[in-house]
Amino acid sequence: MTEPTTQPVAAVVAELLTKRYGSLTAIEDLSFTVAPGEIVGFLGPNGAGKSTTMKILAGTMAGTSGRATIWGESVSLNPAAAKSHLAYMPENNPLPDDLRVEEYLTLRAKLKNVESKNVQARVEKVMIDCDLIRRAKGRLIGQLSKGFRQRVGIADALLAQPKVIILDEPTIGLDPHQILGIRDLIRSLRGQMAVLISSHILHEVEQVCDKVVIINRGRLVAQGKTEDLRRELLPNAVFKLTSNTPLAQLLEICLQIESASKIEIQENLAGGWVRYQITIPTQSAIRENLAAHLIKAGVAFREIAEEHYGLEDIFLAATRRTTNDGLKN
Amino acid sequence: MRHFKTLLFHELKLAFHSWNTWATAGLFLTLMGTIYWFALLECSRSPQPWTPVEGTFKLFWLPLLCILPLLTMRSFSEERRAGTLSSLLTTPASIAAIVWAKFLAAWITWVTLWLGFIPFTLLVNLRLGSVNEQRLSDPSVLIGALSFIFMSGLLHVAIGILCSCLTRSSALAALLTFIMLLGLTAAGGALESLPIESWTWLGWLREPAAHLRTFGHLQDFAAGVIDSRPLVLYITGNLLCLGLAVLAVEGQE
Repeated sequence: MTEPTTQPVAAVVAELLTKRYGSLTAIEDLSFTVAPGEIVGFLGPNGAGKSTTMKILAGTMAGTSGRATIWGESVSLNPAAAKSHLAYMPENNPLPDDLRVEEYLTLRAKLKNVESKNVQARVEKVMIDCDLIRRAKGRLIGQLSKGFRQRVGIADALLAQPKVIILDEPTIGLDPHQILGIRDLIRSLRGQMAVLISSHILHEVEQVCDKVVIINRGRLVAQGKTEDLRRELLPNAVFKLTSNTPLAQLLEICLQIESASKIEIQENLAGGWVRYQITIPTQSAIRENLAAHLIKAGVAFREIAEEHYGLEDIFLAATRRTTNDGLKN
Repeated sequence: MRHFKTLLFHELKLAFHSWNTWATAGLFLTLMGTIYWFALLECSRSPQPWTPVEGTFKLFWLPLLCILPLLTMRSFSEERRAGTLSSLLTTPASIAAIVWAKFLAAWITWVTLWLGFIPFTLLVNLRLGSVNEQRLSDPSVLIGALSFIFMSGLLHVAIGILCSCLTRSSALAALLTFIMLLGLTAAGGALESLPIESWTWLGWLREPAAHLRTFGHLQDFAAGVIDSRPLVLYITGNLLCLGLAVLAVEGQE
């Protein structure tokens, strides 16, 4: 494998990538980077252009315009060098049904420039890492379950110890145990190789990835660390409060504590108790001690809790924002 | 041509492990055996101006049209249908290496099938020697005719590979190959049968017609006449088809 003398700043660079099919634009001016050793989640609704972007980065599809590099090598100008640093597992993970697992991995190792003397050792290693060695080593790929096929795909991706791995929906169709196994496997790659992973299971992405890139309708809508995106896309903190204080009185108290507060009734409960939703800016100074402020103001309540925003909320906020922008335009 | 050798061995292994190849080989040998049998019968009834081997090879177009498409139809179309071609293209192997490896594997299989015909002639010669004073198998005719098959196979197999690149359906690839091979085989004869001499405006067709006469090439090879023109035709045709196949794969992915 060819080793550049210096490590590039970014393992993957997508710069103003655009792909058009006639009048249909699949992706437009998409730019993002993945740093060496970083695990990045690539998210977007169905048809957002995730697979198209991944195919362009993997060199199996030509973009209409823009620039893509893998470990500093241009995917279009120097495809062989770019591919030597890359492993790509496409969506649905197509595999030849008439080959045995070990036979297939040996062939792939040879094609991926693994040195002849190391081929057998590497094949054994990835089969152990992906738990294929005991139950699938000598079996025909066509006879494997979905989970084992996915493992073969990931084993193939790890074979040549590439600098960059692109995984398109690697856990699709797997049961929770298998998802857990693959998640641990991907997590173990942190720091060793850059991983770009697309998935619909946002919880899984949140658990594994250092950073997320969110696209919608072929355009970048957000990218960064989950916490940063939470601050950017969800500027308000939401509290659930169960109290018997009337709405008007509670609103007055809240506005005194924080002028940008908003309150709405969520649910009327038995015994005159009401569940309210209080919204205050995330940056507000009272966020950390709202309960204390309410007690001091004489508000009686039996429960108060801040809503936790997960990646799902960030994803929905980001995609909703662009959808609304699109509708306005 | 990175990884050509690895890919070629892989393709050959696949070909010789595939039921499709063995079924095709069975069909080929049955067909050739039957043709040879009838040629022998004909020669045993009365002396013929041709040997049974010559008579058999005159019908080379039958296996060419019926068997060759079965050998090449799956090479790319099946991989495209299953998506494994995309996966192969993510490796550092070049498209030219992939196309040439698939072509050479199919050509070697085609050649092997024809070599499988030799034992028929050896057995008959061993058992019967001659019938009606006629040598049943003239080795020079057999070698010449097989040389023609191998040489023309360069173009014919390349056409099959090209057709397989154009579609995801193996059946459609086989049909396309059949039509193109039929056109190529029949074109020379059809052009020769036209009264080109009397049509001055078609005079330019005289040369191409002379080059494309496939049956004439077979006769020349069987007679031991080595003409460079068919060699150039088959080699350049092969390069053109495989070049187009590379472009087709590049364009589709």
